Amino acid sequence: MIAHLAQIAVLLAVAPLLQGVIKSLRARLQGRPGPSPLQPYRDLRKLARKGIVLPHEVSLVFLAAPGLYAGSALVLAYLVPTIGSRAPLDAIAIALVLAFGRFALVLAALDARSSFEGMAASREATFAALGEAPLVLALVSTVLPGATSLGALFTAAAIFIVNLSEMARIPIDNQETHYELTMIHEGLALEYSGRHLALVQYAAAVRQAALLVLAAMLLPGSGGSTFAWFCALVLATAIVERTFAKLRLFEVPSLFALATLLAFFGIAVRLTGVNLW
Amino acid sequence: MISLTAPASLSMLDLTFASTPLALPFLATLAIVVPAVLAASLRSRARETLLLAVFAATLAAVLFARSVFAFMLAWELMALVSAMLVGAHFERRYVRRALLSYAIVSQIGALCILAALALLGAHAGAFTFDAIARAAPSVPAPLRVTIALLALVGFGSKAGLVPMHFWLPSAHPAAPATASALLSGVMLAVAVYGLALVGLTLAQPLPAWFGIALALVGGLGGAIGALYASLQSDIKRILAYSSIENTGIAIGALGLAFAAQAFGLTSIAALAMLALFFHVIAHGAFKSLLFLGAGSIVRAAGTSDLEHLGGLMRTLRFSAPFVLVGCAAAAALPVTCGFAAEWLIVRGFVHALTSGTPALAVAAAVTIAALALASGLAFATFAKFFGIGMLGQRRSDHVAQPERFDHVTVALAWLSAIVVLIGIAPELVMQQLGAAVQAVTGVQADLGTLPHVARIAALAPVLGLLATAWVARSRSIAHQPTWTCGSPVTRRSQYTATAFSQPIARIFAVAMPSAREPAIAFARSVAAFAQRTARRTRVVQGGRLRVYLAYAVLGALVVFWLAR
Repeated sequence: MIAHLAQIAVLLAVAPLLQGVIKSLRARLQGRPGPSPLQPYRDLRKLARKGIVLPHEVSLVFLAAPGLYAGSALVLAYLVPTIGSRAPLDAIAIALVLAFGRFALVLAALDARSSFEGMAASREATFAALGEAPLVLALVSTVLPGATSLGALFTAAAIFIVNLSEMARIPIDNQETHYELTMIHEGLALEYSGRHLALVQYAAAVRQAALLVLAAMLLPGSGGSTFAWFCALVLATAIVERTFAKLRLFEVPSLFALATLLAFFGIAVRLTGVNLW
Repeated sequence: MISLTAPASLSMLDLTFASTPLALPFLATLAIVVPAVLAASLRSRARETLLLAVFAATLAAVLFARSVFAFMLAWELMALVSAMLVGAHFERRYVRRALLSYAIVSQIGALCILAALALLGAHAGAFTFDAIARAAPSVPAPLRVTIALLALVGFGSKAGLVPMHFWLPSAHPAAPATASALLSGVMLAVAVYGLALVGLTLAQPLPAWFGIALALVGGLGGAIGALYASLQSDIKRILAYSSIENTGIAIGALGLAFAAQAFGLTSIAALAMLALFFHVIAHGAFKSLLFLGAGSIVRAAGTSDLEHLGGLMRTLRFSAPFVLVGCAAAAALPVTCGFAAEWLIVRGFVHALTSGTPALAVAAAVTIAALALASGLAFATFAKFFGIGMLGQRRSDHVAQPERFDHVTVALAWLSAIVVLIGIAPELVMQQLGAAVQAVTGVQADLGTLPHVARIAALAPVLGLLATAWVARSRSIAHQPTWTCGSPVTRRSQYTATAFSQPIARIFAVAMPSAREPAIAFARSVAAFAQRTARRTRVVQGGRLRVYLAYAVLGALVVFWLAR
């Protein structure tokens, strides 16, 4: 229990750092110095000190959504099992707690009465609908024996693809975009400022960190090797961001189809018990 | 137990009513929904309230029936009263069409059920359910399959199982909101009860392949229902398709229970039945909540078309929070019973994955994927339902009147309280459901870690409110128009319902060859064929007395020949 609480505390503390590290790694890979890995903390501090600007005539849903998004991110951090323990994953709770936070933000976006937000909400809901099946299948497959099998690799690959969408990364979304029409996750938060925005950004960082930890835990090994896998996944995320261009919106479903297939393969391989080593 | 025994030569007319553990969760659903529906209908005409009460009584009668005659009598009364409710606004053309297709499907289904029960009774030599259940193990395999298929068509069509659902999206919305709440919230569950009754007692054990096929049909049907729900722009049609989705989910769980029983995996069967029971109660509560909420929306806004709704947070100041609770439950989000139901159902399939039975494991994997897709699509659907329907700005010129606190509000509050209460503390209904599961499968099933998870997830809104309080203490709070790249912010700058679901429509266009649903197109062509055939066979009814006399003589001759 104490180990678990400690893990939650670490996760909550380093989540913005993770975002900064990926950004700075990506910049290095592109041959520019990039911002410091600590920049997200400075951004959060700056936002927390600012006042907020609200659109006219928004409802309570708009006011409460960033808080609910952040609250669900904290619950998500709790639902990630302790690294090294044999505690089972609660696939459906993880998927639906993710959905809870997203629901709040999507509703808030639709309350803001601009097409940009509506468009972002529609795309977010669509990709969430497509991402749920591979996510649940991949997480569920951990109940089957064969953590060191080829199946584990398939599963982790599936969840990595879903993570790219969940983390609003290239090739599905682009966190750095300044063009409203291409925003998905950023578009949802377009009307937020000050502490609202700080909550959204922090919660997004926690969600991303929790999902990367989950993906690392699905890979073979435990303890130290999980941490190694985690670092590898962070690097892989940066490399994908560096290497690929954003996909056309209607090419993204094929990516989700691939993830679903991989998750199915993961289950099939585990069922048949083919071991890699 | 109430019993009216007919003379021995007419034993098929035995009327027996008794309560059984299997019916208990369905009766509980009825007990939750009926007070709310009756309270909400106090505003409408007395005739309608009376019909609703009678309808509720017939639903209870089906659940209590313990003989073939009693069951069919109650079933047909239920069909009749529900048809009267569907046709309440008979003066509208689309209502008449919906009523006709409902009546036809309902009667074909009832004939199938009658055939299945009659075959069972003929085999057992007695027509009480107890006698039939005792004789069930000795039913020959081909007869058993025939009965199972007949029951599937009969109960599946009533429950709105894809592809026998085509009548539902027009029939349920045609009825008044209070009636839709009972139709979708309870009657569909009663049809699922019928299938469970046949599969678990009257004709048990069903072959394993039937259970597996049922699980797959249910899961995929759920996903298809959710897909069509996400594409609708009319709030009542959205709810009707969402009911089709939930019927699929419930029947998927039932299929898992059948298959697990057939493989001798009673503990998995118990998990599946527990999940089914919980899902029935959860769906009954949140779907009737949403239908009653939709009634309030239509009354305030004068339309059920999302493209003309929006901005109802201020006018529906009492109903809006309850509708939000219903939407969250329909999207299976934490803090509501929808989450708990989804959790239990997926757990059943996860256990099937590790059961060591390859066929069951593969089917479970596919069903889990289908259920996850369904819940993802339900998310998109109900984000649209509330986001476009209630939030933002009104999309038409109609000025909505602010609502008053009245009995509808009380009904909505009651249902919301149930939805949230058993969402946070699912163990509250556990004791009763556990007893029912034990009686049906012979094994105990527990909630596992669900109460713990439900409570942890309930922290999300609490933490959320704390965080919002922190935001409210910002240095300054200013108001500015929404950013629309400098163009004026009007109601036209908002996103529309059609635009919201356009990406889903485009992505799944592969699965949908035409804009019209394949099942509906097929049903239309069958109806056209039946009409053509009827027109051609009309010549036998020439309308001349001599012809009819000839028929009578011919008929008498046939009878004499048969009885010789």
